Amino acid sequence: MIYLDNAATTPMDPEVIDAVQESMRIDFANSGTVYSLGLDVKQRLEDAENQIRESLFIPPSHKIIFTSGGSESNNLFIKGYAFPDRKLACLGLEHPSVTQTLEAFRELGNDPISLLDLQTEGRLDVSNLSQLKKEKVRLLCLSHVNNELGSVNDPTLILQALAEQSPQTRLFLDGVQAVGKLKLSPAMWQGLAGYSISGHKINGPKGVGLLVVEGKIDLKPQIHGGQQQHRLRSGTLPVPLIIGLALAIKKSVVKAADTIKNNQKLARHLVSKLKSLAEGLPELELQFNSSLSEDLSRQSPSIVNFSFAPVEGEVILHHLEEKEIFVGLGSACSAHSKEPSKILTGIGLTPEEARCSLRISFGTQSTLANVDAFVEAFGEAYRQLYSTFNRKTTHK
Amino acid sequence: MNERRTILVRYDEIGLKGKNRDQFINRLVKNIQMQMKDLEGLKFKVPHGRIFIHCSQESSEECIRRLQRIPGIASASVGVTRKPEFDALAAVGVEWIEPLIKPGEAFKFCVRTNRADKSYPYKSPEIDREVGSRILGQLHSKGLEVSIKEADFILEIEIGQDETVVFNNRAPGLRGLPVGSSGDILGLISGGIDSPVALYRMMKRGCRAHGIFFDNRPFMGRGGYDKVVKLSKLLNGYQGKSKLYVVPFEDIQVAIRDFCRPAHRVVLYRRMMYRIAQAVAQQKGCLALATGESVGQVASQTIENLNAVSDVVTLSVFRPLIGMNKQEIINEARELDSFDISIEPHPDCCSVFMPPRPATRAKIADLEEDETKYPWELLMLEAMGKMETVDLDDLTT
Repeated sequence: MIYLDNAATTPMDPEVIDAVQESMRIDFANSGTVYSLGLDVKQRLEDAENQIRESLFIPPSHKIIFTSGGSESNNLFIKGYAFPDRKLACLGLEHPSVTQTLEAFRELGNDPISLLDLQTEGRLDVSNLSQLKKEKVRLLCLSHVNNELGSVNDPTLILQALAEQSPQTRLFLDGVQAVGKLKLSPAMWQGLAGYSISGHKINGPKGVGLLVVEGKIDLKPQIHGGQQQHRLRSGTLPVPLIIGLALAIKKSVVKAADTIKNNQKLARHLVSKLKSLAEGLPELELQFNSSLSEDLSRQSPSIVNFSFAPVEGEVILHHLEEKEIFVGLGSACSAHSKEPSKILTGIGLTPEEARCSLRISFGTQSTLANVDAFVEAFGEAYRQLYSTFNRKTTHK
Repeated sequence: MNERRTILVRYDEIGLKGKNRDQFINRLVKNIQMQMKDLEGLKFKVPHGRIFIHCSQESSEECIRRLQRIPGIASASVGVTRKPEFDALAAVGVEWIEPLIKPGEAFKFCVRTNRADKSYPYKSPEIDREVGSRILGQLHSKGLEVSIKEADFILEIEIGQDETVVFNNRAPGLRGLPVGSSGDILGLISGGIDSPVALYRMMKRGCRAHGIFFDNRPFMGRGGYDKVVKLSKLLNGYQGKSKLYVVPFEDIQVAIRDFCRPAHRVVLYRRMMYRIAQAVAQQKGCLALATGESVGQVASQTIENLNAVSDVVTLSVFRPLIGMNKQEIINEARELDSFDISIEPHPDCCSVFMPPRPATRAKIADLEEDETKYPWELLMLEAMGKMETVDLDDLTT
């Protein structure tokens, strides 16, 4: 099996599985109880939290709230901060757990602002953010790394631009595609209002994630109950999952430099292999949707997105699946859901180009041989399918 | 208390049959026994065309639940067997009614008797009166009254030659005929809302409805296949012993798309589906085809296009939804419990195969001309050679 859809999710690291299993056996007590059994578990929870702080250089000025994952973290921060009438903005290319959360404010008469006009290659162009000041935007929500394109919104750059051009606007970043794939700068926390992380994108368990939130911010809880986690997120803590998350973060950060180097090598190899495939295959018109820049402040090397009209991405995907090669898709080709990816059309692709695309995303297990096998199978599927999709061959 | 219960099963249209009535009843009994084979301690009795199931009080609820999903049953009641003596029958009434009477409030009841055993020395109204007056005598002081028209509680008595049963409930059944009494048919099933309902309707007419699915892999993922298997399993729950035939359809679709007039595509696909379905039906001993088509619902379901599709087969094609509107079909899909599965978002056809403007009135001569442009006989044989058979009884959970 060749798995090249690591932006969707990643296989769990065996060491993380062991840590979770062990904790499931040992740490069954409720970390909120006052007897020693519970206090021991609470201690392990605090150790995990400290380990996360150390791994990511999260300063004491910021709190860590454990959640069920990236979507909950995004919902908790945005709703908790902006409800009901604080003005919100996003680029319009974020994950649905951000864009749909912003959309939910419309019902309250608080229409969110889209900065899509300010995007270049899927990133926010920070040269002119005066609109944020004019519209009195209180919170700007962005992906740190775009989930379909890999384009990077560099927090340091954006925070500086906001400080200069719209000081009342705070920055929230969805970081689920960034941790372990980019080096997070310890300096980015200063000024950052919130940041979300998910366990399963970094070889950790599903069902757990976290929100980093600046301590001064008065966040309204979205889940009420036993007032755990600074009263911000009630519910008994899933200690084994959190221990797994902490280990996954630690391992991904330790390996980050190697991962980045490996992903750059893989991305470079993929792009060049695809280009030479296209050279030998005149009917293949390749178009790279993700930036080919090797500047890590602009593009994550973990994601390569490309189009190849007129053959639909989903059909290629299923042909690859027959060979046990699994890749990602931003959009569906079904006769029932003709909606192409909003991210791809958002950066200017036509609906057809958006439908005829694939997303390759690398993980720690990905190899050059995986890329070779993918490109070969892709070429074969493309050759086989081209005539069916090329409408010019259709009889009148 | 775990007293034995007697379930009285009333069959539906079997009652209208003539000399072969026993065959129908035996079929229904076999179907009931098959659906209940995992329940312990059941005893079946079929005296003189009536169906009784003796079971424990505990399992009676599950028995009723299952009986309500077996075609051919009009209704079923859980009761107790007693000697056909007025005092014994009245005692049951007192036992059941007394706890329901609230102090200071009137409670109305009546007794209704069906005297199946005509040799019994009292007529039905006499039995009603005798049993009713005994109950009233014991409970009148607590507020019990008789009312035929506005009864809060109806005590029913069925007096048979072998057994007399007292009950106070009737769970409605699916009605129709027992599966197997009308032969096997092969239904074209997709992941949509309509085709499962069509097969369900055929089942209720006594057919064992097998399914044939035309698989779009690898243009589409396995999601569509999984959904059809799930729907077929649901349908099999009503009938048992049915099969799903899965035929790969991609090569045929690609050929039609590449070589034939785009406007004709859908009708041409369906002509191939019908041809293959007929061949499979004949191979597997199915007597007819069934589809979920309804006039005018989509472009391929105009009368002209339905004719053009039927033209390629000689077997009868049953279309039990032909005159129904979408909402009626949806209501029935909800009754069948297929609706929620059918609306799961798994695409059943890639948009590349859909024509921009499908013909609503395809002419058979034109379709035949299109079919000279690709080797359909060969592709049909190849597809049938790759057919997979899913035995739905073998699927667990």
